[in-house]
Amino acid sequence: MADAGCVAVWGARLPGVILLSNFQISATLAEPERFSGLEMGLLVACVMAAGGLFFWRFAPILNRILHSKKDADFSLRPVGRRVWEFVWEVLCQAKVIRQRPLPGVAHAFVFWGFLAFALVSLNHFATGVELGFLTPDGVVGRFYFVFAGVWALLVAVSIAGLFVRRFFVRPVWLGEKVSYESGLIALLIFALMVTYLAAFFVEPGGVAVKALWWTHTLALLVFLPLIPHTKHLHLVLSPLTVFLKRDGFSKIPPLSGDEDFGLVAGKDITQLISLQAYSCVECGRCTEHCPASTTGKVLNPKEIILGMRSYLNEFGPASEMALLSEARVESPDNPPNRYMSMEAAFECTTCGSCEYQCPVGIQHLPIIVGLRRGATNTGAWEDTYGTKLFLALEKNGNALGLSAMERDKFVTKQGLPIFDGSQEYCLWLGCMGGYDPKGREIIADFARVMSYLGTTFGVLKKEKCTGDPARRLGNDLVFQTMAEYGLKALEAAKVQKIVAICPHCVRTISNDWREYGIAPEIEHHSEFMARYKDRLPKQVAAAGESIVYHDPCYLGRYRDVYEEPREIVALAGTLVEAERSHERSFCCGAGGGLAFLGEESGERVSHVRAKELMETGAQTIGTACPFCNTMFRDAVSAVGGGQVQPQLLDIAQLTARALPDVKG
Amino acid sequence: MSGVLVVMEQRGGVLNRMSLEAVAAGRLLAAKVGAECSVAVLGAGGGAGVSDVAKAYSVEHALLKDYTADGYCAALEQLVKKLGPGYVVFPHTYQVRDFAPKLATRFGQVLISDVIGVQDGPVFVRQLLQGKLNADYKQAGAGPCFVSVQAGSFRADVEAGEAVAAEVFVPEIEAAQIRSKPGELFRESAQTVDLSAAQVIVSVGRGIGEQDNIGIVQELADALGAELAASRPICDNGWLPMERQVGSSGQTVAPKLYLAVGISGAIQHLVGMKGSKAVIAINKDEHAPIFEVADFGVVGDLFEVVPELTKAILAARS
Amino acid sequence: MKILVAVKQVPERDAQIRVAADGKWIDEGDLSYTINEPDAYALEEALQLKEKNGGEVVVVCAGPERVVSTLREALAKGADRAIHLEADDLGERDTLGIARMLADAVKGEAPDLILTGLQSEDLGLGQTGVVMAELLGIPHATIIMQVEVVDGGVKVKRELEDGWFQHVEMPLPALLTIQSGGNRLRYATLMGIKKAKTKETATVLAGAAVARAVSLERVYLPEKQKKTEMLTGTSAEVAAKLVEKLKFEVRVL
Repeated sequence: MADAGCVAVWGARLPGVILLSNFQISATLAEPERFSGLEMGLLVACVMAAGGLFFWRFAPILNRILHSKKDADFSLRPVGRRVWEFVWEVLCQAKVIRQRPLPGVAHAFVFWGFLAFALVSLNHFATGVELGFLTPDGVVGRFYFVFAGVWALLVAVSIAGLFVRRFFVRPVWLGEKVSYESGLIALLIFALMVTYLAAFFVEPGGVAVKALWWTHTLALLVFLPLIPHTKHLHLVLSPLTVFLKRDGFSKIPPLSGDEDFGLVAGKDITQLISLQAYSCVECGRCTEHCPASTTGKVLNPKEIILGMRSYLNEFGPASEMALLSEARVESPDNPPNRYMSMEAAFECTTCGSCEYQCPVGIQHLPIIVGLRRGATNTGAWEDTYGTKLFLALEKNGNALGLSAMERDKFVTKQGLPIFDGSQEYCLWLGCMGGYDPKGREIIADFARVMSYLGTTFGVLKKEKCTGDPARRLGNDLVFQTMAEYGLKALEAAKVQKIVAICPHCVRTISNDWREYGIAPEIEHHSEFMARYKDRLPKQVAAAGESIVYHDPCYLGRYRDVYEEPREIVALAGTLVEAERSHERSFCCGAGGGLAFLGEESGERVSHVRAKELMETGAQTIGTACPFCNTMFRDAVSAVGGGQVQPQLLDIAQLTARALPDVKG
Repeated sequence: MSGVLVVMEQRGGVLNRMSLEAVAAGRLLAAKVGAECSVAVLGAGGGAGVSDVAKAYSVEHALLKDYTADGYCAALEQLVKKLGPGYVVFPHTYQVRDFAPKLATRFGQVLISDVIGVQDGPVFVRQLLQGKLNADYKQAGAGPCFVSVQAGSFRADVEAGEAVAAEVFVPEIEAAQIRSKPGELFRESAQTVDLSAAQVIVSVGRGIGEQDNIGIVQELADALGAELAASRPICDNGWLPMERQVGSSGQTVAPKLYLAVGISGAIQHLVGMKGSKAVIAINKDEHAPIFEVADFGVVGDLFEVVPELTKAILAARS
Repeated sequence: MKILVAVKQVPERDAQIRVAADGKWIDEGDLSYTINEPDAYALEEALQLKEKNGGEVVVVCAGPERVVSTLREALAKGADRAIHLEADDLGERDTLGIARMLADAVKGEAPDLILTGLQSEDLGLGQTGVVMAELLGIPHATIIMQVEVVDGGVKVKRELEDGWFQHVEMPLPALLTIQSGGNRLRYATLMGIKKAKTKETATVLAGAAVARAVSLERVYLPEKQKKTEMLTGTSAEVAAKLVEKLKFEVRVL
């Protein structure tokens, strides 16, 4: 809706833009030639006042960032990637544009305009002390002024558009509160551009020129001290934030030392987190895409970031005051903040949409998981289901709390070979594959696919959970136990390559386990099957079957695997896309350990997604994660009522159904 | 006497079923060791008798009116010392678990508890590791051997003959010997459904089709005196309240019997009921995973099987 | 209030059990051990009592070197001190022998309250606590769901059969055996594990084993393994078969 509103506004303005830009090419910028001593004195005083005010307001922020805890694991390497991301995300504004095209382009024009204006502004002040280095008389100056003029026009139009969007269209993601400062800043930017452009149309040497010059100057000088106190601080900080952000998506940093249990209090906030908290531009993209926020839960990722910021402002980076309000001693200075609560923190499915969407390099997951770590590692989080899960992992080694003998029974009954070092792949079953009836079907079918392709494989004799739910729920003790057990088991069995049907297992083994050792190479079964797609049967008879593919968060955003599963789906029928797909895919509600917790408040995430998938009218829902599969199983029947419900099949099942029955 | 003494348990003058099973075990043991079997019952007075035993004792004292471990131990210590039985057999009730180990200790003995079988020797069979193993136990030293028997392990005989008249034994007990103050027995008010405490649960799943059909399952539950429970889809649809949901997001139950009707057995459901002692499943799909965990399975149309079963249970009850 | 919790280490619940070559016990070769579940509830009750009434929780466990891991876990969950009663020959001792060993070891501690689980998951005799109380000459109560400290002692809620309960009051010191499920267990935390490193574990050498009153002669796999029995026939026949099962095997009729 927001974007549609903007189109209307922009459409109306477009002819004017063309008209004006045609006109100004031939115009020359008028600059004052002489400044009196008084004027120069006044200018220097104003500049110093504005600069002073800026630093007076900015210094405490800088101080809080610098006095936050050091990020123990931080490394600038690989610099190449950082430079590339800086160029792509900051200079090219790729993320800003890609995820919200219209306001994104408007923002990019403002940003690029500012860059173009840097030289003009410098020259502007230099002129005030009669040291101007660009003059309309020179070729360079003449060209540059016109060049900047084009940008000024684009900035003026863009900022006006953004102003209308913010104050009249008012997308809900920007928050209920109207930010008057944003309005003032937009007006200042608009004034800067207008005063610049107007100087093309006035006679040189007149009073008007001086007046325009001074208005422009004052607008700039008022703008400067406003920056540190508003979301416009991102002008200064976000390029740095993007450049310095942690290397890797949803990267949970290792705990450092014996006193680190995660984000318990201010003293645990690291410099990167501080920097990110102060960089937030409050655009609300994180919240717009959050499966918890959009289904009526308390969690609001933007408010978590702003909560961190206001905590830093109030208590500072050395405080012992608990970050989450249930753990705080409440007082009038310390009111509860429902967004900074355990309830909110434990509603996160860790789907990663927030972190993926953020245009200023904020990494929400290390923060939200960090808050959970602070609550779980200290025992402050008391939840019946969570406790049951942790005890099940401690005692049974699987998230479902079933006897490990159940896995043995399945392996025997299914006739799965035990990995003995002679096979190429270790087939990792995972909790779902080893214990869940539906997960077992997927394993059985994938095993058939592997046999059909002539790939040798075996399963570990004993296998425990990767620790994924413990990791995401912030239980480092259980996670470490699981990771170390798994690493040892794989090493003892001399495994070289692993393949798994569960994206959570793949992610945790390949990525999170690194804290404790290096696991053998692992891939998801979609990647494995896609490599052999030419040898897998194309299901001609099924060509009419429409299959909607659901991107699992941990395969898509976490692993960047979007096309491989689609290639498999395309072999089995006609691929259909849901409204939200690929990197914008909407969570099934199971991640972050939530599959094991109790009933969620608000609407069920799985229902929302199931509805969306069913609205495509596809006959089949294709999944690539056993957790998504199990979530949709309940949701489809609940949402679909008595109507014909789509089938729910994993990509391994879609493939296996076309294979000839293997005898023996 | 060197025979077998069975210590029975009564409440309000009525012997419980487990006591009669203990008498059956006592008779078997007596036959094996070639001795007589006698019985004793404790209380403040009176006490129901059994037939076909050598002797019956009624241990009576005002301080035995309410059960206390101190009072029962004092009384039985005196009775055992007086009678000198070779074996003392108890039903393995909660009350016996409370005092019998203490009594055995007074004789320098160890209670062989929760016995499921008696073999020549005599050898007492008990289960270890939640029934994964059986173990043979024997008395190693001399003195009375104390044994308690598991519920349901010995078939209680029908007491057909006339009860053997009880000889009253009055032990010496001082009020000061009794250190604990027992309160009245009570039951928790059943305002909320506590499936976790239910002994028998009849649970209904998606196979029931629609809300109106739940009635037939409710009738089955009523016939069995069972709590009605459900799998998640039923509660999600609002056909039964959420508090009746069994599974990972509902309650975890461990009844003596879990009767699953039209439940396929998704993992989220199985984790909530895997502790059940016996599972019966009725489902039309022979491949339903619920059969993996069931002791008894019926592949069939629940709309036919359930009403028949209700009828048969009501007939068996009457 | 000083609370002593006696815990036992038992094979993990889902361990594959094999009978040892001599047929007298199970093969302990590659077994993993864990805290006996009812004892975990006893520890939880002790920790909650301490949180409410203050005091100290001391945890004691008899057994070989491996039981230290269970003690450390108890310390991580919040116990203040641990006593390892070192004995490699628990199999040579009967309940009376083990209870005496424990009673001797805790006598010097003079605790106000001793808690333990109602029975062990391996032997399941359910007596050690009661025998200890008798040896120490203190009152006891078994199968306890709730404990409340009252004037001059404790008031406990005892579980009886068929959903009945009873409150019992007794003076301190006393011994209680705790039923599983009365409280919510806490999970071990990273913070707890780190704190546990600084807590003291005393090692006491157990005395020599004495003659047993009862002996375990042999262990063996029960004949009947759990298998699904499918009942077939017409609906009426199936119903009749089920009623038989309900009567004689499940025993709910």
